[in-house]
Amino acid sequence: MTVIGGYLGAGKTTLVNHVLRSSDERVAVIVNDFGEISIDEDLIAAAEGDKLTLANGCICCTLADGFAVALNTVRSAEVPPERLLIEASGVADPAQIAAYGHTPGLRLDAVVVLADAEQVRRQASDRWVADTVRMQLAAADLLVVNKIDLLSDADAADALCNWLTGIASTAAMVRASRAAVPVEVLFGPQPEGDAVNTLDRSAPDPNAARSLPAAEDLFESQTVVLDAPVPMPVIEALLADLPENVARLKGLVQAAPPAAAGDARGTEAADTTAYLIEAVGARASITPLAPGSDESPRQWAVSVIAYKGSLPSDWLSERLVRRG
Amino acid sequence: MEPQTAGSTNDEPFVIYPARRVITINPAFPFGDAVAVSGDRILGVGSTDELASWGDHRVDRRFAEHVLMPGFIEAHCHVMSGGLWNSTYVGYFDRRDPQGQLWPGCTSIDDVLERLGKAAADMTDDSQTLLAWGLDPIYFPGERLVARHLDTVTGDRPTLVLHASGHLATINTALMERCGIDETATSPGVARGGDGLPNGELHEPAGMMLAADAFIDMMNANRTEQARWRYANEARNAGHTLLTDLGTTQLWDPEQLGSWKKVTSDPAYPARVMVAMSNLFGATADPAELAELCVQLKNEQTDKLRFGIVKLILDGSIQGFTARISWPHYYKPPPGHIGNGMWLTAPDQMADLVEPYHRAGLTVHCHCNGDEATEVFVDAVEQVLERHPRWDHRHTVQHCQLTTPDQYRRMAALGMCANIFSNHIYYWGDQHRDVTVGPERAARMDACRTALDSGVSFSVHSDSPITPLGHLHTAWCAVNRVTASGRVLGPDERIGVADALRAITIEAARQLKLDGDIGSIEAGKLADFAVLDDDPLEVDPMALRDIGVWGTVLGGVPQPAEISDV
Repeated sequence: MTVIGGYLGAGKTTLVNHVLRSSDERVAVIVNDFGEISIDEDLIAAAEGDKLTLANGCICCTLADGFAVALNTVRSAEVPPERLLIEASGVADPAQIAAYGHTPGLRLDAVVVLADAEQVRRQASDRWVADTVRMQLAAADLLVVNKIDLLSDADAADALCNWLTGIASTAAMVRASRAAVPVEVLFGPQPEGDAVNTLDRSAPDPNAARSLPAAEDLFESQTVVLDAPVPMPVIEALLADLPENVARLKGLVQAAPPAAAGDARGTEAADTTAYLIEAVGARASITPLAPGSDESPRQWAVSVIAYKGSLPSDWLSERLVRRG
Repeated sequence: MEPQTAGSTNDEPFVIYPARRVITINPAFPFGDAVAVSGDRILGVGSTDELASWGDHRVDRRFAEHVLMPGFIEAHCHVMSGGLWNSTYVGYFDRRDPQGQLWPGCTSIDDVLERLGKAAADMTDDSQTLLAWGLDPIYFPGERLVARHLDTVTGDRPTLVLHASGHLATINTALMERCGIDETATSPGVARGGDGLPNGELHEPAGMMLAADAFIDMMNANRTEQARWRYANEARNAGHTLLTDLGTTQLWDPEQLGSWKKVTSDPAYPARVMVAMSNLFGATADPAELAELCVQLKNEQTDKLRFGIVKLILDGSIQGFTARISWPHYYKPPPGHIGNGMWLTAPDQMADLVEPYHRAGLTVHCHCNGDEATEVFVDAVEQVLERHPRWDHRHTVQHCQLTTPDQYRRMAALGMCANIFSNHIYYWGDQHRDVTVGPERAARMDACRTALDSGVSFSVHSDSPITPLGHLHTAWCAVNRVTASGRVLGPDERIGVADALRAITIEAARQLKLDGDIGSIEAGKLADFAVLDDDPLEVDPMALRDIGVWGTVLGGVPQPAEISDV
């Protein structure tokens, strides 16, 4: 589940439409706003009252009758969704909506908050909404500084991002125009199985840096395929110390459980557990996968997405392979 | 309201009701000894002899010992008031249900458990969940009702108790098991006891939705014909002849609209209802479309089912620390509070949201508990009036709890009305003084005197089911400003009984634009009366709320209250 927040006019709906247009996942949408659902017409297969069937087979509906009803509605689709987007209202606290991510069957991936590059500073000192806007920015795991093209020059963009860092100090920050953020940045790279191939479409060398098929061509990814378990302290160190240019990290690894971390036997295959590791902004998680679950990957790998040129090409392998 | 037929048919004699006194709320003819009713309309007020001179009549003496007033008009309540009584009441204060049965307040955890145990024992269908409402733990300091308490009286029957705030619920172990809530729960909305295990308390929507099925049952009970009947019965029992359902999404649903039409077209249905269109709670619609639907609905209205008002909402509640209050904000907010309340509609959007309704000739009623919310709504009305000047819109600030004197002066200048939540003084006044806003601002909240002196037309309200429906109580609060602990909160904002009686009749009618037809007893208006056992202008003002209610007359038809004490 991904929460999309931000003040009025920041580009939330544009982002939702962009995701529906560019994601390979089956994405369902719940809209928490008083306004009309504004999904682009070509992405809608059928409309029935306030419930839309999307071109991807999933459903888009509102929170009108509460989260439980909305969740039942999106789950009732013939095509079960793989990802749920919740578009918060322009004055909502995204952190409160994120609390729904603890509902059984859901897992909160990230709180994505958009800021209108041209307006956000004014909004953050507005008589009525200054506290609301600042609360929203501070709730971000991934802060999208949108409409960056409306700023006069790169210096203005840098100054704005510096200022935003003071409010959203723990968030990863990406710049965008027309909310065109690559879905891999929004949802993380997908290093498992086929997904690796979508990232590295023509990649014989999975450790090489590759540019993403990004609208703005701003990001690049690194993927390291792992053929051996990784000691837990190495994983913990990786997640604890991500450079700020890293937008996203995701991986499936084998490691010794934390209790055995540091123990020499911990790296033996018999004692290892499969983990999903993720990081965006200050939100990092290490989640054990149930043995034999559907989530068991076809290969072990970690991917990271960062601004192009901001990381040495061996940055990830340095941290995982050589130290491991 | 347009008369459907002229009052007198000339075929039937009109009826003269002599009374102990008729309080007309018509300043040109304030009192009478009797009222004459022809069909559903008032033929006249005066002495029996004067009225007899109109011609062929009969005299009905059933109200000879009673005092007649215009039927009370509640301009802010909700049909949920009828639906909640499908669940068991466990609130702290005495409350009378629509069947007229008095439910004494549960003033201890033991009282709550005893009532739940009895309710569980009375249930026959083993699969049913026991639902209860109104628990107010603020009155049980140091104690906490948790799942294991509930287990002792409801056993294996899943049980959910909704708190009075609406922000918390407590469930028993059986319901926790059914909902899969155990030690592995990760939601911050699942409260834990000293042992680290979930204790049955669910916080805020994200926690409460884990028991969604039980909530959906509770809310579906508000969409039944039974709920609509109970809501009107409760109103009649308290002397009301017109109710609002202030803010509903039901009007989009043809089935729900049909249900409203069906119940109100029953001649026995004992109230008129004005249903306000709403965009609340995430329901989506373009305001221009909503305005058009509301205008269309006005063509379908009857004398007992009215449309034409719209409800918007700007902020939360003061006791929930979610109302938008200007600096210095909250007095003693809970730890971790962000400092101010929350917006439910973006202030920037307000003028654009009001505009389509304003242009369509509708009246906008906006929920504003805090003074920042009032300011934003008044600003929006001012902007919209600049864009589209319009006479006599009567846009109304609802709740209006912390509205400041300067805001009242602006409201008067702009032609706006106020509906003031006077019942808060009694039910939460002590908490407002000691915790939420502090002594000074608590003394000036729900400022009926300031509204009166500023020339703002105002009513008072219960927001039932938030507080019990009953205008003798809301008027009593405006007159006395006495809190539950017996303290007088802000004596300088008290108003006189005569002004309070206007607020619950003609002024309420005025902000609903029904004052041409109801709200006072005078020739030509609908024959809607509250029938009282005593004279509100003669009793001690502190006894105002204790006056007995015989029932009402609705469109000329006597509607006796049904009261049955346990």
